[in-house]
Amino acid sequence: MDFSQFNGAEQAQMTRLIEKKQMQDFMKLYSGMVERCFNACAQDFTSKALSTNEKTCVQNCTDKFLKHSERVGARFAEHNAGMSTLAREQTGC
Amino acid sequence: MSYLFGGGAKQDTGAVDPVKMEMAVAELDMITDVFNRLVTSCHQKCIQPNPQSHRYAEGELLKGEAVCIDRCSAKFFEVNKVVGERMQAMGGTAQATGGFGGR
Repeated sequence: MDFSQFNGAEQAQMTRLIEKKQMQDFMKLYSGMVERCFNACAQDFTSKALSTNEKTCVQNCTDKFLKHSERVGARFAEHNAGMSTLAREQTGC
Repeated sequence: MSYLFGGGAKQDTGAVDPVKMEMAVAELDMITDVFNRLVTSCHQKCIQPNPQSHRYAEGELLKGEAVCIDRCSAKFFEVNKVVGERMQAMGGTAQATGGFGGR
């Protein structure tokens, strides 16, 4: 996003807001990942401890999800960059 | 997506413009929402089609999964565009006839 038209006070407020949202996003990512990987990996309820298999599964699940979201993020950034160049060309500035 | 709400001269009065802030927050929320949906949809389609069971034998993205993610993202943006265009067309018709549904 482009905040170049914002004055100092607005930029400061925006930065605080973005930090707050980043924190919220992080918590959401965390709980979402717990839910996803629990559902996928926790299969055996004859024991209360995670089995070795389940633990490896959760570790792989977490790694894979983070890599997935990184890759999607890269594609998203590329797409957004393309869109703003397009918009700049159309408005001519 | 600042290309949506661009424009306006730069003025440094030192005051916070609530309208401008609200627009920026709405834009930020929209981008975050789209991104989160994209992550969830493509994860469901490429990595974990069955949410109730997956063995996760490895933590790396497989070649096929990586390719799937790229195509999935591209397709998602395309769907986003098509839906946007259809809705715009529908909005135009609704304005002309005075309501959605066209009855």
